[in-house]
Amino acid sequence: MFHASSTCGARVWLACLLLAAAPLAAAQAPPAAGAATSAPPAAESAPAAPATGEASADTRGLDEQVQGLKKDVVDLNRDLFVLEEELLFPANTQVAVFLAVDVGDFFALDSVQLKIDRKEVIDYLYTPREVEALLKGGVQRLYLGNLKVGQHELVAFFSGKGPNDRPYKRGASIKFEKGIGAKYLELKIDDRQRKLQPEFEIRDWE
Amino acid sequence: MTAAAAQTAYNLIAQAAPDFTLHAVAGGNVRLSEHRGQVVVLSFWGSGCGTCRGQLAALDRSLATYRSAGLEVYGVSLDDVPERAAAFARAVPVAFPMLLDPGKVVGRAYQVDNLPMTVLIDRSGTVRNVLRDYSARSDGLYLEQLRALLNE
Repeated sequence: MFHASSTCGARVWLACLLLAAAPLAAAQAPPAAGAATSAPPAAESAPAAPATGEASADTRGLDEQVQGLKKDVVDLNRDLFVLEEELLFPANTQVAVFLAVDVGDFFALDSVQLKIDRKEVIDYLYTPREVEALLKGGVQRLYLGNLKVGQHELVAFFSGKGPNDRPYKRGASIKFEKGIGAKYLELKIDDRQRKLQPEFEIRDWE
Repeated sequence: MTAAAAQTAYNLIAQAAPDFTLHAVAGGNVRLSEHRGQVVVLSFWGSGCGTCRGQLAALDRSLATYRSAGLEVYGVSLDDVPERAAAFARAVPVAFPMLLDPGKVVGRAYQVDNLPMTVLIDRSGTVRNVLRDYSARSDGLYLEQLRALLNE
């Protein structure tokens, strides 16, 4: 869990990164025109072979520094992302809705519309690539928002193509109690083999 | 307004292209961000626009030539009535998907103020050029800009 101090820590870290990157950038920058003209010719400097070895060692060192910096930036980005989510969606008000598709022989998903307490919060259109990912077992976080403690109702409308390639639209709803912790709900699309129809359900992850 | 003036007035140039997901007339949905790495051309049209038909045909020719180089073209209808847009799209024989934006959400995001309007997006998803009309001159300019983006 991040607190105010960790926010400062992240900022200090970012500042350190920038400071660390400055000399590196200077080292990588081409020499100024004046410097280039005042440099002695290559023939007058030290023997060529040791200089080449030294240069390759320098390059290796620089490369390692660049890789280290890249890793630090990725780590920082991850920490800032987590921090942003915790600030925007604190655990005591957070509600997340996930979507999972199992099999999908009787329903080709096109869109999902979500309403919480009769207010539309998302209308999501699925591309063939996303549907493929869901069919491979992916779980999508469809919605992340905030709700106050108490009773709420979630209604989901699923649109797509049903059996025999016909337009198909179904709804599912759930009444849930939002407590002081984060609330996670899952929309699940399943095939009901016995009826040769798709099945839509909403589960509350306790 | 001259083409050059129009170009400078379009403030999405050099900005990240607004992402969208739209229904296609032929079925399915298209999301712009799934086409990173390709040069994307968006052509906004309306069924009541006389020059749009000629422009869509010109875009189709460019797609046939440059598809293998990484070009994707999408026509975006701004018609209020999707059925009218779908009828128009079916009557225009083009090989690229025609998308429906009856709510004009994408049209607003791309600041469409004239039809046809063509937006060129580079491989990194940045808006690079806009053409606000269709003529032999703008078609030449389009091909020139398109080749430059494909060569990057």
